[in-house]
Amino acid sequence: MDAFLAGMGILVDPYMLFLVFAGTLLGIIVGALPGISGSTTTALLLPLTITMPPTGALAFLGSIYCAANFGGSITAILINAPGDPSASATAFDGYPMAARGEAGKALGISAISSAIGGIFSVFVLIVAAPLLARAAYNFGPPEYFALAVFGLSMVAAIGGDSPTRNLLSAAFGVLLATVGLDLTTGVERFTFGIYALSDGIEFIPVLIGLFAMAELLEQAAHGNVVKEYIKLSAVKLPSLADFRKCAKAIILSSGIGTFIGTLPALGATTAAMICYNESRRWSKHKLEFGRGAIEGVAGPEAANNAAVGGAMVPTLALGIPGSATTAIILVGLIVQGVRPGPHLFNEQPTLLYVVFASMLAANLLYLVLGLGAAKLFARVTLIPPAYLWPGVFVLSVVGAYAPNQSMFDVGTMLVFGVLGLLFRRFGFSPAPLIMGLVLGRMVEETFKQSLLIFDQNWLLFLSRPIVVLLFALTILGLSAPALAHGWRRLRAR
Amino acid sequence: MSGSSGRPGGGSPSPGAIDRVVAFSALAFSALVYGLTYTFDSVPEALMSGLGAELFPRLVLVVMAILSLLIALGVGVAPLGPMPPLPARVWATGAVLFAFMGAVELIGMFPSSFLLLVGLGRMWGERRLLPLVLSAGALCTAIYLLFVRFVGVSFPRSMLGALWS
Repeated sequence: MDAFLAGMGILVDPYMLFLVFAGTLLGIIVGALPGISGSTTTALLLPLTITMPPTGALAFLGSIYCAANFGGSITAILINAPGDPSASATAFDGYPMAARGEAGKALGISAISSAIGGIFSVFVLIVAAPLLARAAYNFGPPEYFALAVFGLSMVAAIGGDSPTRNLLSAAFGVLLATVGLDLTTGVERFTFGIYALSDGIEFIPVLIGLFAMAELLEQAAHGNVVKEYIKLSAVKLPSLADFRKCAKAIILSSGIGTFIGTLPALGATTAAMICYNESRRWSKHKLEFGRGAIEGVAGPEAANNAAVGGAMVPTLALGIPGSATTAIILVGLIVQGVRPGPHLFNEQPTLLYVVFASMLAANLLYLVLGLGAAKLFARVTLIPPAYLWPGVFVLSVVGAYAPNQSMFDVGTMLVFGVLGLLFRRFGFSPAPLIMGLVLGRMVEETFKQSLLIFDQNWLLFLSRPIVVLLFALTILGLSAPALAHGWRRLRAR
Repeated sequence: MSGSSGRPGGGSPSPGAIDRVVAFSALAFSALVYGLTYTFDSVPEALMSGLGAELFPRLVLVVMAILSLLIALGVGVAPLGPMPPLPARVWATGAVLFAFMGAVELIGMFPSSFLLLVGLGRMWGERRLLPLVLSAGALCTAIYLLFVRFVGVSFPRSMLGALWS
């Protein structure tokens, strides 16, 4: 209880409140820029946290994460270009609403349903994360190995139609995590005599390269196209009738979104897409969907923000990221010298309650800012690419350079930028690579520790019930797409 | 007759052809890196506790090879459609970004950033020089104040700067 109160105390600490405010504001503004997703925003702003205390860094990153998802909906509604992939489903009905003169109402319901979904998921996070951490407290290396493998297997679901590509991308990330000094033998691996690689590949330049640089190169193909945005007179609060119409979609999507968020690797975009379909399925106005249904905005917006809190559950309780953005937040924690997992709840509970409090505050703040200043935020969509993307590049260079003050890291960022572009062109998602890179070291360490415990007898993995359960879930998860495909073919006959 | 699309002289590859190229590239990469694991320093038997440094990367590479083969066979992948060539602007932008690294060594971070902001802005279609110069100056100043004065980052000294002093 003391830790809870201490964590909540950040809401009265002016410095922390400033960080939450700054994180929320930056999250909305950058999240509203088309092409700059929540992951890119977090990766770009991560270097700013190096001088902050861990509590401040967490509050800042947590606020950005919450607000960027909402920011993405502004452009989805006003220019039909989601600022964040998780807002893609919002555009299906948000833009038609705006086109018929209801942009203010669409943004109003977006802000309110986002806040409801977000706040709901933070309360789930407050209850579920400590419970999950307690359940995992007695996990040994074999259980963690099985858990990390399960988390990696879930990346197969990112992007939906190409699980094998995602798994290959994740395996490549794990391979990259092996670069550097092997901690058990002291042998250097894949360093090619480069001293900067002895400690492994730095996370931050890789993140910035894969997300921001790759996006910049992709945008170069489009040139200086300035998008027209639909005029917005004012943001309107939805009427009671609107709210009643959306209540079912908001409640349903908050629950489903939080649940999907808790599954490793499944993030806000999946939650929003599933909840758009579920909102339509349970709606009495199915025919309005795709033509400007207010429920079509409320459902995905509640879901994608609910997934934010959900994704933090495995990240904080187990150290297994629930999404690409939480993988970046995990990197931020590691840079700060904090390793999330069950022990964190005993050792530094205040730190965790700071996360909860900052996310709660960020959800309330973007509700106020979203309703009060959406018109202003909408202006950022008018920044011409000729100004925006060169600026993103310079910020990326500074962001990659700052943590270690190394030009080698800037080179790493550029190399991964090119790799990110190739990934996109050949249908690979960068998110699994990040998950693999972040979890790779944990997979290897726990694997080696397990084999030491088992005296090199691999079969003894099967003597641990939780390991068996997690391996079974992994196999089920990996074979599910093939089983579903087979089942559909069988039914078609 | 070229390509498997059946179009006379057509250059667009058949569905799955790009995947096969990607898969075999990944397979070749895995084989190459697997070979590199043989170059790791060896650890005396007496000092070994548990697995060698090469075992885990090899396991990962085997997994990568299996996944590459699955992609080549079209298992669990949606075939990639025809891929338009990268526009010249993408190549030019990439070249400018890599040239920036050299410029930082030569003239320093802030002059390079300023030139990049103006130059890339022009390349991306902005014809008005004054707004570009003003915005580049404003961004460089903001970065200087935030990162140098506030965060305390020191940027690399340029060759020209070293000569000057």
